[in-house]
Amino acid sequence: MQGIGVGGLAALAPSWLHAADTLARDDGRILVVFELSGGNDGLNTVVPHGDDAYYRHRPTIGIRREDLLALDDHYGFNPGMLGFERLWRSGDLAIVHGCGYDNPSYSHFTSMAYWHTGVPNGGDEFGWVGRLADALDPGGAPNFLINVASSQSLAVKSRLHAPVVFDDPERFRRKAFASTRAAIDGLPEPGDGGNAARAYLRDVARSAREGAKLVRAAWSRYRSPVDYGIAPLDLQKVAACIDGGLPTRLYYVSFRNNSFDTHVQQPALHQRLLSYACDAIHGFVRDMERLGHGDRVAVMVFSEFGRRVPENSNLGTDHGAANLMFLAGKPVRGGHYGVAPSLTDLEEGDNLRASVDFRRVYATAIDGWLRSGRAETVLKGRFEPLPVFS
Amino acid sequence: MDGRVSDRFASVIAAFGLTVAGLTVAGLTVALPAWANGAAGAGDLTPLPAAAWHEGHAAHLLERAGFGGTPEEVERLAALGLEGAVRRLVYFDGVPDEAVMPEFDHSGVFDPGLDPFPPSRPATTEAAKANGEALGIKVKPGGNRPIQPVVNAFFYWLRASRLETDRVAQWWAGRMLATPRPLREKAALFWHGHFATNEDKVRDYRKMLRQVELFQEHGLGDFHALLVAVAKDPAMLAFLDAGINVKGSPNENFAREIMELFTMGPGNYTETDIREGARAFTGWNFRGTEFAFNAEDHDEGEKSFLGRTGALDGEDVIAVIMEQDATARFVAARLYRYFVRDELDPGLADALGTRLRELDFEIAPFLAMLFSSRDFYSPASVATRIKGPVELVVSTYRKLGLAELPGVPDFNVVTGVLGQHLLHPPTVAGWSHGRSWVTPGLLFERGNFVLDVVFPDIAFVPPDRYPAYGQQILAVHERLRSGMDITAATMPAGVDTGEDAMAASNLLADRDEAFNTRYGSYRGWQMAIERVKPIPRHTARLDLAGMVRGAGLATPREVVDYLAGRFLSVPLDEGTAAGLADLLSGELGTDDVETAATWLEDPLRVLLHALLSLPEYQLG
Repeated sequence: MQGIGVGGLAALAPSWLHAADTLARDDGRILVVFELSGGNDGLNTVVPHGDDAYYRHRPTIGIRREDLLALDDHYGFNPGMLGFERLWRSGDLAIVHGCGYDNPSYSHFTSMAYWHTGVPNGGDEFGWVGRLADALDPGGAPNFLINVASSQSLAVKSRLHAPVVFDDPERFRRKAFASTRAAIDGLPEPGDGGNAARAYLRDVARSAREGAKLVRAAWSRYRSPVDYGIAPLDLQKVAACIDGGLPTRLYYVSFRNNSFDTHVQQPALHQRLLSYACDAIHGFVRDMERLGHGDRVAVMVFSEFGRRVPENSNLGTDHGAANLMFLAGKPVRGGHYGVAPSLTDLEEGDNLRASVDFRRVYATAIDGWLRSGRAETVLKGRFEPLPVFS
Repeated sequence: MDGRVSDRFASVIAAFGLTVAGLTVAGLTVALPAWANGAAGAGDLTPLPAAAWHEGHAAHLLERAGFGGTPEEVERLAALGLEGAVRRLVYFDGVPDEAVMPEFDHSGVFDPGLDPFPPSRPATTEAAKANGEALGIKVKPGGNRPIQPVVNAFFYWLRASRLETDRVAQWWAGRMLATPRPLREKAALFWHGHFATNEDKVRDYRKMLRQVELFQEHGLGDFHALLVAVAKDPAMLAFLDAGINVKGSPNENFAREIMELFTMGPGNYTETDIREGARAFTGWNFRGTEFAFNAEDHDEGEKSFLGRTGALDGEDVIAVIMEQDATARFVAARLYRYFVRDELDPGLADALGTRLRELDFEIAPFLAMLFSSRDFYSPASVATRIKGPVELVVSTYRKLGLAELPGVPDFNVVTGVLGQHLLHPPTVAGWSHGRSWVTPGLLFERGNFVLDVVFPDIAFVPPDRYPAYGQQILAVHERLRSGMDITAATMPAGVDTGEDAMAASNLLADRDEAFNTRYGSYRGWQMAIERVKPIPRHTARLDLAGMVRGAGLATPREVVDYLAGRFLSVPLDEGTAAGLADLLSGELGTDDVETAATWLEDPLRVLLHALLSLPEYQLG
């Protein structure tokens, strides 16, 4: 009756055993994927101040060397990125330069869908994080995959798992009188009558029942003295779930609403957005260490594209191509990875040429960090992991 | 609706009818029992035979072409027959002319100095420093925080425009609820999602209102005209930065989105087309709430766009876009997905595109064609659509028989929590429909909304008065009143202030001594609530006991079946119906509804909460 729904497969004993086996083998390692929506301007994030071409392309919005948080004699962080500067200094931050894909799309929605599915210039019914969940746990165990969001991301759409999607943990509950609650929870599971939307809603209802109590309990127990900055960007919720002992291995959160789409009046806005993101991620990493989970949690940061190399005439930047990715956390070997694209040999349309297929970074998370050995299946092709976790 | 379009509708129906009559298959279909006519038909755009029409079809039609209705409304619609019902909903045949809905009642929050409004707070204060004034307010000659009044005015308008925009949404939802022409509002809602524009960026409720009125007025008319009107709409121009698209430095935002999201979809044009298209739109701007063409900013040069070369302007580019096959297919499929169902195969998309083109992109006859088709009444379409939050809330009120939108719970808060805050779509792509409307968290919230309707939250705080989501504003308020100076009162609360632990964003917040941003944010809120009219806060006045007794129901099970039929689009399974009847029976203390006549209301409300919390209630 429930087709490819969650519950049916989860009941099979071999799948459970397999899941337990996987958990034991990899110490319950956790991956948190953090999305910067809108197309973060990588060039004004990690600024190549040692390259004069940068200042030629960006005479107005280029960030002066003395204003940067210097990393070395070539790069400096945007002045809003105190959080990342601290992670960098403690060796907990990997910067991957030049991430992208061939024939880049300059559409937010198309490019984001490529990143969400891990299938550039194509797409897929399921997201790469959803497929990763299916590969790690074919049993479809409840609460394996959490997406803190107001609506589910394509990235977590899964064949075998019903992702637990919530926004505010305190509101993640059915408000109801005891008699109503008992009546609703006691109702039978009807068939879907061949109505796929009805079957989907039934799957969601099941996931809600199974996840809500755990998430709320974890959130109510969680207290932290760590400063996540003005906008914690859902990472405190993730911290609460991890510390609350949820079986969740994959988390997906986002800096929402296309915020990084800085066509106009970019500098002050971009600095502020970066300060929020970096403060929150820095706070999260330190919080994990404080709570004793530092060794089993890694964060991956991406955006759907970078921005065009030359500034536009509105103190902003337009949609571009290759971009930076970040991996953060105690298990990370800090440093520069990948190859920074040239600022003089640009692609048509004044864009950076991708030097690292972004799926290599996904593979780094899947095989390098989670040690699943399933990257090739999940990503539908072979992508060499980067030595960030070795 | 004028006679020309109505006549066209009649001829369209006639033309399809002839086609059907000519097919042997159609002859056979008529011979089948009534239920079988509905069972097949997915993908079949020929009209449902008049004889097959029944009340279930009428309920489905009212749900999709409007926001559902009471059993009495469904019955009246059913009595009109298929063609009469479609004409009533699409062309408003028989709707009295005097049944006009009230216009928006402005609070009067706008001041002339606020236009043009700078893009950001820093831009405002920079302008004040440079010019000695901004937003119509002069910088103080001396004293502490000389730019503070400008900053206060900046935040005043941010808050006031936002609150007034919520009043626009409240007014619009009230029309959806009470209108005898629901398709006008439903189509406007569709176009709002299609041509998505967000007040957060536009920052002017007047432009947002104007855009909603455009969709209400022209949403069922000619798509080409609508597209031109949207391209000249100040809210859209502001939202997609078209206002700064000038000769020599074209801004591609609008040119990209008009092709990708509004007309053709990706893959049907090149990056060069986007750049050339952007040049054609240079100089398109707005002044206040009016379109303005700045000839000196317009690029008169030759452009090459989708194979057409010449000194094209914006209207030329739109005309070229309208000629593309991809446009008809894309727009037809968008309409279909919204009004019929999520899934359609490429063959059906092509057929729909052809129909839309044959109808000269007139939306009303296209929808009439859809609403008359066998496909629309096939099991693949009926009750397979997950209602969007606005539809869920408005149709719940309509099915309850309410004439006025309740103020408690707050319409904008509820729909916002459920993921569809009107006039605030998350991105320029609008809302993703279908399954993305429901997550585990949101399924709970949908039930919680029903609880708030049947048993109102007595701890309700009106969000248009009290900054319920602005803890920082409240903290500043308390500290100022306790006698702290502005610097101390506006320090971030609850943060360990050690140099290394204090986050960068908190260090940044208050560094310019010419003014204090947090104080401005606080004072702006006070100034806004002084001028924005409050939203009336009555709760839903329900009479479920009267509803049930009026229907002459004797047992809990009859009550469950009646309410399920009234509110749900799918039949309840036996086990669920029995479980809900047990719930009602327990609350009543008897299995005889008449015995419980004097205490019927509360048990019915408990039952309704449970019934409308079911996953099945989300289907329409």
